[in-house]
Amino acid sequence: MRRGVTITPGLAPNKVAAPTRVHRPFIANVMLLSTVVVAFGAVAGQLLYLGTKSGPQLSIAVTEQAATSFARPDIIDRNGRLLATDIEAPSLFADPAILLDKDEVVEKLATIFSDLDQTDLRRALSDKTRRFVWVRRGLSPAVAQRIHNLGLPGMAFRKELRRAYPAGELAGHVIGSVNLDNKGTSGIEKYIDDVIGVEAVHSATLSDRAPVRLSLDMGVQHALEDELETAFRRYHTEGAAGLVLDVKTGEIVASASIPKIDPSRPGMAIDPHMIDRITGGTYELGSVFKTMTIAMALDEGTATAATVIDVRQPLVSGRFTITDLHPAGRPLTIAEVFTHSSNVGAGMMALEAGPEKVSGFLKRAGLLDSMKTEAGPVSPPQVPGKWDQLELITVSYGHGIAVAPLQFATAAAALVNGGTKVVPTFLRYRAGSAAAPATLVTAETSREMARLMRLNVLDADGTGKRADVPGYRVGGKTGTAERADVGGYQKKAVISSFLATFPSDDPHYLTFILLFEPDGIGEPGGQRTASTNAAPVTARLIRRIAPQLGVAPQETALTE
Amino acid sequence: MRLLNVVSFCFMVASAFLLYSLNYDTRRLESEVQAKERTADLARSDIAILKAERSHLSRPDRIDTIARAQGFGPPRPEQLARPGVAPRGTEKPRLAEGQ
Repeated sequence: MRRGVTITPGLAPNKVAAPTRVHRPFIANVMLLSTVVVAFGAVAGQLLYLGTKSGPQLSIAVTEQAATSFARPDIIDRNGRLLATDIEAPSLFADPAILLDKDEVVEKLATIFSDLDQTDLRRALSDKTRRFVWVRRGLSPAVAQRIHNLGLPGMAFRKELRRAYPAGELAGHVIGSVNLDNKGTSGIEKYIDDVIGVEAVHSATLSDRAPVRLSLDMGVQHALEDELETAFRRYHTEGAAGLVLDVKTGEIVASASIPKIDPSRPGMAIDPHMIDRITGGTYELGSVFKTMTIAMALDEGTATAATVIDVRQPLVSGRFTITDLHPAGRPLTIAEVFTHSSNVGAGMMALEAGPEKVSGFLKRAGLLDSMKTEAGPVSPPQVPGKWDQLELITVSYGHGIAVAPLQFATAAAALVNGGTKVVPTFLRYRAGSAAAPATLVTAETSREMARLMRLNVLDADGTGKRADVPGYRVGGKTGTAERADVGGYQKKAVISSFLATFPSDDPHYLTFILLFEPDGIGEPGGQRTASTNAAPVTARLIRRIAPQLGVAPQETALTE
Repeated sequence: MRLLNVVSFCFMVASAFLLYSLNYDTRRLESEVQAKERTADLARSDIAILKAERSHLSRPDRIDTIARAQGFGPPRPEQLARPGVAPRGTEKPRLAEGQ
């Protein structure tokens, strides 16, 4: 280190003062330290200023809710085919603080987005305190490139996750939809949010969760939707709906409601005309309900299939008279009451059993309580407030009680699967995942019900004869329910339905087809009954789906 | 003592160089990892889009339309048989010419 001397001023030149040792490093250190202190002080002051000043122009929108998206697992069908997945898509946002000319931006963007709300966007961009304004989300790469080519300062893209439904409208009601943030709002998509879980992400990060495997079979689902749409056009119906249920496991293999909805357009589901009629509405289902009445009578031991009852006289209750659509004019066995679909016969059986047995049986079948599936709650049933004579009679043939088709199909499954109650599910069944099964009817009653349903299709006078498909042993029951309106029931506004099971020798699948207010066009006498429309639709459906479901035709089945 | 100082100085210089090299290598590796992660993300995104496209192209309503245009249809019951009971053909399978 260098050391120097200083000359003390004021002394004579010839008198040199004694050298004084001055600590130059000390001065340098002090200066250096002062500089550092001043510099850090300046930084601290600036930080203090930034920290205390609450001007909105200084807050960066890092916590903007819209900047958060949700990574979702894929949805696949029972065979692993993709129904819904996340893909990256660019989203356009603006930073009003650095925007040069908002009018130019709005006008140029309007040339690309014809539906752009210019007033709204201009107002948002005028707020210079905001640093983040979504302009349009989920763009296609081509549109993003066109915007990029406009070269607008203050506009930028952000990669986001967007839900894609490669199969289009297929199973749209079941799958549900998501909102702009990729969060589930209905159907299975909402179930994923509520139960399985999604990850909040700030960038386009795909989920690494295992896909959600549904019980649906895409092939069967398509066949069902195709047949329902054909029937929708052919019979000029107001709507149509159907489902295919595995009666052994409760898996819903297909479920459709026409008109269909597109899961990528969530607004469609708001229209009441587009509701899911399988779970979202309750209906008086008519004579298909006789399956419950007869199963109850057989299981309670109040009758056998061979029991004969006199149905020649109409039933009278108060000011109401209950008759048959096609009176037999002779006493009928219980089997014939079923195949002829006799309202009088069903009513007499219900009166014979009494209110406790009837309501108790329907309660055990789950038809009087609310139900829920993974796709959401099922519309609660509308049941009689009291079980007097008139209610007993009307409920026996499916009037005076309104249930969702899925709820009825689930109860009916237990009548043909050996008597075991099932829980309907849209998820792939895993052995041992269900609770201990409860019994609704005995195995003997179940076999008898499957036999009666088969008889209804085989019998020349059976109402279900047009549902037969050679080889697949179809059994079933028709239902034609007049719709209630102001002033009473409408004869020309009916719900035609057909409940079917196959193969009848060991029922594995159940189908339930409903046509809402079909026209009688093309049928003899302009008939609207289920035997002339819902039954043949069922036959066409089973002919298509049985091979897909692995049901072998009887002619070639092995008896091993 | 001087030797120790010289050795220490050399060691210090060598350490500094080593540290510099390690730092440089780390940054290089970091940038390589980031590049590979970007590539993997891009590949994952591409795979997701390709899966969606494949599923879109193989959706049942499209296949159904194409199959029907080619004269195909759903299998009829008489077309199905289990392997053990498949009826034997009376004709021998005809081979193409030259086989």
